[in-house]
Amino acid sequence: MARSETSKPKSSLRRNILIGSAWVGGGLAVAASIGGTLAWRRVANAQKFMFPADNAKSEASFNAWLKIAPDSTVTVAVPRQDMGQGIYTMLAMLVAEELDADWTKVKPEQAPVNPIYGNLTMLVDGAPPAMKSMMGVVSKVLGVQATGGSTSTRDAWVPMRAAAASARAMLLMVAATKWSVPVGELTIAKSIITHAKSGKSAPFGEFAKEAAVLPVPPAITPKPQSEWKLLGTSPKRTDVHDKSIGKAQFGIDVRLDGMLYAAVKHIDLVQGELQAVRWKKGAAPKNVMHEVRGPDWFAVIGKSYWEMQQALQDVELVAGGANAVMLSSPQLSSLYERILNGEDEGLKPLAKPLRRTFESKGNALRTIAATDLKQRIEANYSVPFLAHATMEPMNCTAQIASGKVDVWVGNQAPTIASWLAASAAGVSSDDVKVHTPYLGGGFGRRADMEVVRQALACAKVTGGKPVQVIWSREEDVKHDAYRPAVACKMSAAFDEKGGVGAWYHRIAGPSVTKAYVKRLNPMLAGDDPPDKTNCEGAADAPYRSAIANFHVDHAQVDLPVPMGYWRSVGHSFNAFFVESFVDEIANALKKDSYLFRLELLKDVPRFAKVLDAAASAAKWNTPLTPIAGGKVGRGIAIAESFKSIVAQVVDVEIIGGKQIKLRRVVSAVDCGFALDPENVKAQIASAAIYGLTAALKGKITLKESQVEQSNFNDYGLLSLAEAPEFETVIVNSGEALGGIGEVGLPPVIPALANAIFSASGKRLREMPFVLG
Amino acid sequence: MPVSLTLNGAPLSLNVPDEKPLLWAIREDANLTGTKFGCGIAMCGACTVHVNGEATRTCVLPCSAVAGKDVTTIEGITSKGLNAVQQAWIEMQVPQCGYCQSGFIMAVTALLDKNPNPSDAEVDAAITNLCRCGTYPAMRKAIKRAVQINTEIKKGAK
Repeated sequence: MARSETSKPKSSLRRNILIGSAWVGGGLAVAASIGGTLAWRRVANAQKFMFPADNAKSEASFNAWLKIAPDSTVTVAVPRQDMGQGIYTMLAMLVAEELDADWTKVKPEQAPVNPIYGNLTMLVDGAPPAMKSMMGVVSKVLGVQATGGSTSTRDAWVPMRAAAASARAMLLMVAATKWSVPVGELTIAKSIITHAKSGKSAPFGEFAKEAAVLPVPPAITPKPQSEWKLLGTSPKRTDVHDKSIGKAQFGIDVRLDGMLYAAVKHIDLVQGELQAVRWKKGAAPKNVMHEVRGPDWFAVIGKSYWEMQQALQDVELVAGGANAVMLSSPQLSSLYERILNGEDEGLKPLAKPLRRTFESKGNALRTIAATDLKQRIEANYSVPFLAHATMEPMNCTAQIASGKVDVWVGNQAPTIASWLAASAAGVSSDDVKVHTPYLGGGFGRRADMEVVRQALACAKVTGGKPVQVIWSREEDVKHDAYRPAVACKMSAAFDEKGGVGAWYHRIAGPSVTKAYVKRLNPMLAGDDPPDKTNCEGAADAPYRSAIANFHVDHAQVDLPVPMGYWRSVGHSFNAFFVESFVDEIANALKKDSYLFRLELLKDVPRFAKVLDAAASAAKWNTPLTPIAGGKVGRGIAIAESFKSIVAQVVDVEIIGGKQIKLRRVVSAVDCGFALDPENVKAQIASAAIYGLTAALKGKITLKESQVEQSNFNDYGLLSLAEAPEFETVIVNSGEALGGIGEVGLPPVIPALANAIFSASGKRLREMPFVLG
Repeated sequence: MPVSLTLNGAPLSLNVPDEKPLLWAIREDANLTGTKFGCGIAMCGACTVHVNGEATRTCVLPCSAVAGKDVTTIEGITSKGLNAVQQAWIEMQVPQCGYCQSGFIMAVTALLDKNPNPSDAEVDAAITNLCRCGTYPAMRKAIKRAVQINTEIKKGAK
């Protein structure tokens, strides 16, 4: 299908006219599988914004997602941020697969900020059902580039493969024309296009310039799975070399000519206003060049961060204001208890809770009330506030020069970073350039960007010089946007067949989404739409299919505490509640924890299969090797989160009746298909260790609205010595892709609680877990 | 008084307050950013470098304490080519976010220099750095692999 016009570059105008008919047809077929019109709309728009080409390298940009240099280097625009989950590698793999590119010549690069890169999957996943259709028309929100909700690969699945498949077709078209051979006889391997019959071959980079300006061919379909060479394997990550030689650049490593440093101190209260700044020696030290006052923080700017950090030791911040509401953790626990008992009034400092039912079938309350006491079970659970504690403390570098703003920040939402910077600097977001380096940990923390506002406030006073704001670890621990403290009451009635006849789950806690939006922009936080994260993992617990009377409701309270998204969000506590309670029921019914779950999962075979895989890999029925001076135990749990199912078996040792030692974690994961199996395993272990750290050490407590913890000495992390052995089996079900970055966390916490119960007979219903 | 030391094999005179921690002199004055700030209380080990060959946490170590000493950072060991630990780290794909990894690599390198084939218990006792991504399982494999690589290098040298 050689075409005469291929030798003549076409104008971008012509291309954009053509694309309207061409891509939509091709995109629809692919996009239908992930649902909705949103995905194909973006595919259709893929060439309205071109990934900016570097002319010095003679790169040819094919669309928003990739460009190819004459030496066949493929640069992939990655619109998501790498916080360790390996998304640069994964999204580059999607493109490399379609292009049959030489993996060593594929380079991921952070995409610029543009609505084309918006994360639609995160939006659709996070929205309550009633809002989903409406979401599609909120164009501003649609364009938000953000990394979270374990959505990155799922969201890129259609557009990035389609973009690469079309580039492939365009490259082949040019080669076919030049060689005067049928395009169908061409193949690509390792970036080299070959025509076997004539023996002609050349690297595809040679055709890139001409190919990139061709009309986009119609009806592009990505490769079938049977032809994948790269997907399903684990090539070397693109970032690991630089991260092993100290060369990878994080936000805190940004160095600019004339750059100044700022150290920040917040008021002692988690929420309140800065009312006065008092220098203990009357004035700031001489090396302080500028002082900057924010609503609840104070910063000093100078030539050395360390010097500025020292200077802050001499300052006292007076806090207070109408915004300051005093709250202590024990008080919150008792308020939660009253709310769970149905009280709505007299809960000061909290307002009346907003009660909502998230899932209901049959009549759970009535069934439980009508059941004999001996045939019922009830338990309360609770979890504390948690800090994210990313290893790289919060930081942001900003420069305001000639009306333009540059911001360098490890962030999980460059679009939001650009809004915040624009608003703080009083410019349009078109005048803001956000530079996103590697993130020294994210876990949700870097979706909250108070530090961007601070950096801009500092950059306003430095006369055009760039300034890097860095928080100390103490500021990070004491002023996080915390995973909320949450409590719940669960009750169940057994039926005559030894199953569960009724299940009632009442949860009390804040809406993380509301808290997040309010911090972002108080103007947006007026409404109270249902927050799916409150009951995720509870309202949709897999056991509901086997329980005739099933009810989950939520009492939402606004807490005077900054809160945000923390790895796996609502699943981080709901899986603990649900899976511990199921274990309590199994124990009450004198049934095996694994077999009892299997009974309850009989109508959801996908879950049963994952549970089986974990139990079998863990040799569930093989007794644990006993230890001298201690007890051993094994626990199991399963949870679906972010469209993936994970079952985990934890083996534990209890030494001296008190010390909890992790021996082994066996996981089984069904994320549809493991596109990079080694990274899937790494992420499962990563999230599990994050969860186990919370289970054994994680606790942020408030005393009169001040955080009592301050650093790793009192907010500890699991160490190498404490980490268990890991084994992970992958169950490739072939279902739609699920997420991976967070899914190893939810079940590991109850699996540990269940293991501790099996070893010690003690049911721990409060996190973190303490024995003795 | 400027502090004189050897940094990555080259003499360096630092004109900083005596009490300025070595970490900040490395990052701000020597402008080497591979060594990281994590906690400021010598708990996490992200700031680990070698001082006269010993793995040392530098966020609370005043510059005056390293006068006349030989300081090596991650950049310093890398300038001689990847060492066995770095090779093993890459082979086992250890880093995730990567922020803590320089510190771990420096700590493990110093351990293997002293104890070429440490037991698991010796590794546990020596490597107390913190990693928030939970790369520990891969790290454990990589440490074993680094021991192997070192053995292969020694055999080759004989």
